[in-house]
Amino acid sequence: MKEVELDCLGEACPIPLVKAENKLKEMEIGDVLIVQIDHSCAMKNVPEWARKEGHNVEIEEVDDGEWEVIIEKVK
Amino acid sequence: MDIKKNKYYKLWIKDAWPYITGAVLLSLFQIITLTTTGNPWGVSGVLANWGAWIYEAFGGSVDKWYYFASEGAQKTLESGFFNHGGSLRNLGIIVGALIATLLASGFKIKKIKSLKQIIAAVLGGLLMGYGARIGFGCNIGALFSGIASLSLSGWVYAAFLFFGAIAGSKLLVKYFM
Repeated sequence: MKEVELDCLGEACPIPLVKAENKLKEMEIGDVLIVQIDHSCAMKNVPEWARKEGHNVEIEEVDDGEWEVIIEKVK
Repeated sequence: MDIKKNKYYKLWIKDAWPYITGAVLLSLFQIITLTTTGNPWGVSGVLANWGAWIYEAFGGSVDKWYYFASEGAQKTLESGFFNHGGSLRNLGIIVGALIATLLASGFKIKKIKSLKQIIAAVLGGLLMGYGARIGFGCNIGALFSGIASLSLSGWVYAAFLFFGAIAGSKLLVKYFM
C-alpha cells in the first residue's frame, strides 16, 4: 500500500483531472492518491470522475481555497 | 451556532451550485437583460470599450478607428464608464464572483508555477479577445445570446467552438502534461 501525493496547486482545469487519471493508472489496487488542488472546478470534476470509476473518494479542505482529494484505488 | 456547520450555508454559499441551477439562472437573467435593455447580453464587447477608455486615459484617440467609428460607439465612449450598462454589468460579474469566493472562504492568491503558464495565459487571452472582436461576439454575445435569439450564427459558432476545443486540448496535453 503506497501513498502518492500529486501537487496540482496553481494548475487550472482540466490539468489536475488529466494528471490524476494518468497517475492513478500507474498505481496498484489499494494505493492512495492525494491530489492537491486550489482550482475550485477541479474540486468538482476530480471527485466526480473518481467516484464514477468506482474508487473511494474523500475531500479535505486544507486551507482557504485549497483542497486535497484523497482517492483510494479499488480496482 | 457555527455558521460553517449550518446546512443552508453549505448548500447555498459553500458548495458549488449544480450546473442546472446555473443554466436556469443564466437563461432567466439574459431574458431580463434583453427585455429591459433591448440588447442581448454580451461581455467581451464591453471589454473593447474598457480598452478604448484606458487608451484614451494615456492620451490616445480611437476616433478614427473603424471599430469605434459609428456614432453610437462614439456616444457610448463619450458618456463614460458609469453611464454604460454593460460596463456596470461586467463590474458586477467580477465583484460578485469575488464576494461569492469570500463568502465561501475560498479566496486564494495562486502562485504562478512556470513561465509556460504566463505565456499560455497571455497568448490565450490575446487570441480570445481578438477572435471575439473579429467574430463580433464571444461565447456569451455570439453563442449564448445568438442561440437564445434563434440565430443560426450561434449554432455555427458552437460547431467551431468544438473544433477549437479539440485543438486547445491537444496543445494542453502536449505542453502542460
